[in-house]
Amino acid sequence: MSLCPVIVGGGPAGMAAAIELAEHGVRSILIDEASRLGGVVYRGPLRDGVQLDYLGPRYCEVLARLHGDFARQAPLIEVRLNSRVIGAEATRSLMVLDADEQLYEQAYPQLLLAAGCHERSVPFPGWTLPGVMLLGGLQLQIKSGVVKPQGPVVIAGTGPLLPLVACQLHAAGVAVAGVYEASAFGKIAKQSLALLNKPQLFLDGLSMLAYLKLHRISLRYGWGVVEARGEGGVSSVQVAPYSADWQPDLARAEEVAAQTLAVGYGFIPRTQLSQQMGLEHGFSDDGYLRATADIWQQSSEQHIHLAGDMGGIRGGEAAMLAGRIAAVSILVQRDVLGTEAALQRRQALLNKLAAILRFRAAVDRYTERGSGQTSLPAADTVICRCEHTTRGDIDLALSQGVQDMASLKMRTRVSMGDCQGRMCVGYCSDRLRQATGRQDVGWLRPRFPLDPIPFSAFSQPGKDASTHE
Amino acid sequence: MSKFYDVIIAGGGVIGASCAYQLSKRKHLKVALIDAKRPGNATRASAGGLWAIGESVGLGCGVIFFRMMSANRKREAAGSAVVVDSSTPHILPQSFFDFALQSNALYPQLHRELKGLHGMDFKFEETGLKFVIYDDEDRLYAEHIVGCIPHLADQVRWLDQAALRAAEPNVSLEAQGALEFLCDHQVNPFRLADAYTEGARQNGVDLYFNTNVTGVLHQGTRVRGVRTDEAGVFNCDTLINATGAWAAELSRMATGLSIPVNPVKGQILLTERMPKLLNGCLTTSDCYMAQKDNGEILIGSTTEDKGFDVSTTYPEINGLVQGAVRCIPELAQVNLKRCWAGLRPGSPDELPILGPMAGVQGYLNACGHFRTGILTSAITGVLLDKLVNDEPLPLDITPFLADRFALQPEVQPEPALA
Repeated sequence: MSLCPVIVGGGPAGMAAAIELAEHGVRSILIDEASRLGGVVYRGPLRDGVQLDYLGPRYCEVLARLHGDFARQAPLIEVRLNSRVIGAEATRSLMVLDADEQLYEQAYPQLLLAAGCHERSVPFPGWTLPGVMLLGGLQLQIKSGVVKPQGPVVIAGTGPLLPLVACQLHAAGVAVAGVYEASAFGKIAKQSLALLNKPQLFLDGLSMLAYLKLHRISLRYGWGVVEARGEGGVSSVQVAPYSADWQPDLARAEEVAAQTLAVGYGFIPRTQLSQQMGLEHGFSDDGYLRATADIWQQSSEQHIHLAGDMGGIRGGEAAMLAGRIAAVSILVQRDVLGTEAALQRRQALLNKLAAILRFRAAVDRYTERGSGQTSLPAADTVICRCEHTTRGDIDLALSQGVQDMASLKMRTRVSMGDCQGRMCVGYCSDRLRQATGRQDVGWLRPRFPLDPIPFSAFSQPGKDASTHE
Repeated sequence: MSKFYDVIIAGGGVIGASCAYQLSKRKHLKVALIDAKRPGNATRASAGGLWAIGESVGLGCGVIFFRMMSANRKREAAGSAVVVDSSTPHILPQSFFDFALQSNALYPQLHRELKGLHGMDFKFEETGLKFVIYDDEDRLYAEHIVGCIPHLADQVRWLDQAALRAAEPNVSLEAQGALEFLCDHQVNPFRLADAYTEGARQNGVDLYFNTNVTGVLHQGTRVRGVRTDEAGVFNCDTLINATGAWAAELSRMATGLSIPVNPVKGQILLTERMPKLLNGCLTTSDCYMAQKDNGEILIGSTTEDKGFDVSTTYPEINGLVQGAVRCIPELAQVNLKRCWAGLRPGSPDELPILGPMAGVQGYLNACGHFRTGILTSAITGVLLDKLVNDEPLPLDITPFLADRFALQPEVQPEPALA
């Protein structure tokens, strides 16, 4: 076989897969849209020589090990940075926009999709004000070692990322005005036993809570965001107690002064590419779409594999293991590994994965999304930021009998902008489910190109564009 | 639980919605619109050109279609005596001109009506359509068109290079001039369908979305209703088949005859929002372009025989990109935002298939609109309403009857209702 396997996404899953392939002497091509490898979790500082002590010693150790292992295998890995996969030609090849904004077609015999996830947007009055950020994006700022958000910062959301980022912010010298975890304390406590599947992470969690207490940073359980206020930028945040299904109790709302609001209500698998390829997808428990994969990380097309958060949110450590399992499957498909050896290797990886999955399941249970949050936006709150569709527009369409995503799109223009609905599709499908009582309200078909590309990226016939072959 | 309606319309694209809207004005009729959106439905994929003359003389997506046909025929006919030349335009018969022009004339009033009475604006814009002439072959083509439509001389205008640049400053210097059709305009196609649908709903039509018709009920030779997966049985006096590219399937269930409607794939490109680059709609021999009211520019479209496949494919998209940049060089700096494909409901002679079929009662066709469903939806709704109500028609429907084709029964109609 002359062609190399291709890996989309240079985060922990893609890097681990490339390492595993190289350890067996197999070359691969690794494509990433960023200027550095590592994905959002392990990208490291943007500039060399920056110390990231405030991110904690364990994080720095994993970061160093991953990049070190990768560097040792570098001769067998062709890395293409600043390259965006913006579409697929059936299940044979990818369309890639290179660093010079030229489009080329990349064929593959085997493919690993490890495109990661993006953050869930939750619309509420003021969510489009400057100073309102998504929590992961804010953490990336700190990790970059280049910029810091303006304090005081209010953090609202759910899950273990909240206290982690609060500690990292404080350690980086940014004032934290308060942390608001939507889930009630009792709900989290109930998962204590399951969370002990990863004792180190559990201990880390406890020490983070102790750190917050020591530095008098308030962490309130069962509270969430209601509104961001300010002229031209955030100056204060309204928070309120959330009921079990995340309905805010506005009578008890409080106002907190803040320059930055970080919102972190979870992550969504990035499925634009897998959908465009026509791979099989299913809905996860929280109502989001994800591509389905089997125990070999194979999608509905045998030669196309999935790993990392793209196939369900499990975090960086699980991504590395799944990436290696996918690589083992590719090695079998290329006749590099025999079935027996592959099964043994897979079992070793699965054993390590099992504890993480039990831990993740516990996190999923306590961070389970409440549907009450859809009541937050006011009639004039913008839901689709690309097309400036408001909640009022969506209410009207629903009252006119619109019942599915595609019809809502046509009636209100939600998702017709550059982002193809990445931001608003969550809110819209929640509203459609509430209005129709149906679980399946359709999904938006991502179109080529997945991100806008200049017309000049296309090659004129006759001009040779295959410099990548 | 079964329901009864005087009229059931199967298919909620622009044709079915227009029929529903016109019928909804009859207060004595109980009407239902049943729709199951399938990938590739043409209304949502369309560019929204109301190019009454342009499409009748084979411009718009017609010119691209004809060039392709002509190239294919040339290949097939190599060595034979038949010479098919792309300089010969593909002019549709007079009956189609009348149909298209009558429909076109309805839009200004329809726009006021749907906006005023129902709060729905389908963005009707008077743009004109210019056929951009690059070379002698294009000029011959344009001259031939003008020669074929002497009765429409007042709707046609020649532009020399200076006049074209004055009207469209962003058109390439390569362009020698243009032939403009003054009465050819544009709308937003999915807003048009939504406007008809919402008008119909406000007038009392029941909408059944995401509902698949799985069978047709009969009593003797009379259609009596439909079965659906999602909403049970519907009884009716009249069933209207407005199921677009899927019309052959419903006609088989209803009449035992398969009308010759086949999906004809078209791929379309859309740019990001732009300040005004185009003052009107343009067509060249490579592509057509229409800047919509929100600043996006639509670039269409291919004509492909690929069954119900709606994937977008790089070589075809690249072809449209090159055609667009050739005409508007400025586009090289612009972002392509999205591509998609739709399925035109094609008929062999490119004329729609309308009205009753011999030997079957309670069934009317409203399908086969091929490239011009948006343009001819207005007159189709008017015609179907008058057919249902047994009133005189504004034009002769004979050229559009399904019986013009020699249809062979494929299967027996479903047995009569017990």
